[in-house]
Amino acid sequence: MGTRFEVVLAGGPDAFLRAAGDAALAEIEQWDRRLSLFRPDSTLAHVNRHADAGPLAVDDELFELLVACRDLHAATAGAFDPTVAPLMRALGLHTHDQRHRPPGGVPPLEAVGFNAVDLDASRRTIRFTRPGMALDLGSIAKGHALDAAADVLRDAGVECAMLQGGTSGVVAIGAPPGLESWRVRLPPPLQGRAGEGLASAQPGPRVPLVARLRDLALSVSAPGGRVVQGPDGPVTHVLDPRTGRPARVASVAAVTAPLARDADAWSTALLVDPGLAARAPATLGWAIGRDGAWTTGGLWIEAPAGVAEGS
Amino acid sequence: MSQIDRRQFMVHAAGAVAAIGLMPDSLPAAVRRPGSAPLPIALIGAGRQGRAMLVELAKIDAVKVVAVCDSDERRLDAGVRRVADAEGFADHRALLDKRKDVAAVLVATPTHQHKDIALDAIGAGRHVYCEAPIAHTVDDCRAIASAARGKRLAVVPGLEGRSNPVYQLAFGFSRSDAVRDIVAIRAQHCQKTSWRVPASDPARDRALNWRLDPDVSIGLVGELGVQAIDVAHWYRGRFPTTVSGSGSVRFHQDGRTVFDTAHADLHFDDGVRLGYFATLASSYESRHELFVGSNASIRLAWSHAWMFKEADAPTQGWEVYANRQQFHNDEGITLIAGATKLAEQGKLKEGVGLPHPSLYYALSDFFRAAIEGAAPAATIEDGMRASAVAILAHQASVAGAAVPIPRDILG
Repeated sequence: MGTRFEVVLAGGPDAFLRAAGDAALAEIEQWDRRLSLFRPDSTLAHVNRHADAGPLAVDDELFELLVACRDLHAATAGAFDPTVAPLMRALGLHTHDQRHRPPGGVPPLEAVGFNAVDLDASRRTIRFTRPGMALDLGSIAKGHALDAAADVLRDAGVECAMLQGGTSGVVAIGAPPGLESWRVRLPPPLQGRAGEGLASAQPGPRVPLVARLRDLALSVSAPGGRVVQGPDGPVTHVLDPRTGRPARVASVAAVTAPLARDADAWSTALLVDPGLAARAPATLGWAIGRDGAWTTGGLWIEAPAGVAEGS
Repeated sequence: MSQIDRRQFMVHAAGAVAAIGLMPDSLPAAVRRPGSAPLPIALIGAGRQGRAMLVELAKIDAVKVVAVCDSDERRLDAGVRRVADAEGFADHRALLDKRKDVAAVLVATPTHQHKDIALDAIGAGRHVYCEAPIAHTVDDCRAIASAARGKRLAVVPGLEGRSNPVYQLAFGFSRSDAVRDIVAIRAQHCQKTSWRVPASDPARDRALNWRLDPDVSIGLVGELGVQAIDVAHWYRGRFPTTVSGSGSVRFHQDGRTVFDTAHADLHFDDGVRLGYFATLASSYESRHELFVGSNASIRLAWSHAWMFKEADAPTQGWEVYANRQQFHNDEGITLIAGATKLAEQGKLKEGVGLPHPSLYYALSDFFRAAIEGAAPAATIEDGMRASAVAILAHQASVAGAAVPIPRDILG
């Protein structure tokens, strides 16, 4: 996942908490080894090498994650789509993958679409039904790893912890001693839209949000990271998988959910298509930053006066 | 010839030469069970290593996990959840009694529990893959090897170096003029972690934290060092005669007595020494082995290997085209497994890492032995020798003294 993970723990002997933190981080590391797009020995690389040749058996844990991907792809009307890998690769947006340079030409949109991924629950197999397909779980792997790490902590008996990855994914277990919830401040969104050169964007009205988290996960998506020059202007690493074009709608999207993997996938989807907030499940909370201002909806996020409430 | 044509020609030429120089054979084929249903197998021990096994087992069509066993209830629950249709057992004897269809068992329990499980499984006529070290005492190691002798069963230790394609490739170099005389060996396992399993229940804490229990643990040198010790045995084709060691609790001051930092020096009879070092206080340079030779040194790091040539070593034809990586002042030539195939596909430079973790190759090798009767890359005698030497190295590090290695262990 190429990012830094941190665990904050309270409420137990030091040796126990240290062991719990080690176990949580080891869990994240093992998911990184399994889901990395850039390690040749990851299970994901194995899938991408062989799933176009016929049904490929995978372990039950990965299969369960793939089923979750299918459900989230359907729930977000395709705005979350892990089959976006060939597009990312064609545009040179795989930052760690030095082997693949942007070849130019037309992005292979026909190779994108999770509905062309065949999952057989009885045999635990995956098959790509179109040529050139590949999975990139970057929009859900971090959340999934955080969920798994949180499960390790809960299983060990930890009742108070916060885990974060890449300053964009958070899972809160319980609340800090003496407080109602863990609080995460979301800085004011930048003015300007994704793909318009955020370095020159001006901050909008200084309205931060505060997410209150108790046994809840948070994910924040923004089109930072690598930007390459495309024929129609700058292209960020957030693509709308339905069109193959960069998302140009929101400058930041934040989502809370019981599971970090759902928050992760939904924040990516809302960045691409903020209108999807209207069909977000009732268990989700969301905030979308556009043109320097927030729109919020659902649960949990503390919205100061003046912030528009969404539908 | 245009610039582009010339470049393509160079790539193809590189492949052709590399095919001679780099690769004695290609990556092993996937293990198959043609015309038959998958071999029913059982996993005994559903902790971290057992779970890693399940991930690799899903890739191997020739086998199917039908039972999972763990004496820890929570781990058993998690293990059964992770394997569709598998039956759960808290006791390995109940598993062996009830599931007569299970042809092979994988033993991934705490080391001190290996012997009873391995002996019962061998006695019940099952193939056994036993994680290394195969036991926590020299006598137990002997007992397992003795039980396996003369049986028509595959009893294979989890020594992953021997079946690892990168290590097999480098082995060829280590025995050739490319490396020439090996003068010293250095190996390490550095990982910043507590080595403690979090458990709030005291009884469960004791059981899960067997690595920190001085009554049964063989410490870092024994538990982790066994893999490097076996690679040294294999590459050298000989065994150490004495081992000296030391260690201390340097970092994790949490009441433990099992060292978090330990050293062992294994002395071979020809004067070569393996210096082994392990710590839980630092992750610097992780886990690797270094064989220092008079023409070149080889650094092995599980999924990767490099060769560092001396300036006066003879030039080999394929070197010109090989991948290189800079390590401060030294340039490593990447040793690529499967180079022949990759070269044919024009992907020589992409294949710098193995396509699977080393555990996949070790398990595949075991099933090839169990299903096809093939000779395993690591025999149970190899497992006994490496485990016994690792145990003695641990004892030397605890005693801070030299310990002789009895010749009868080494066979």
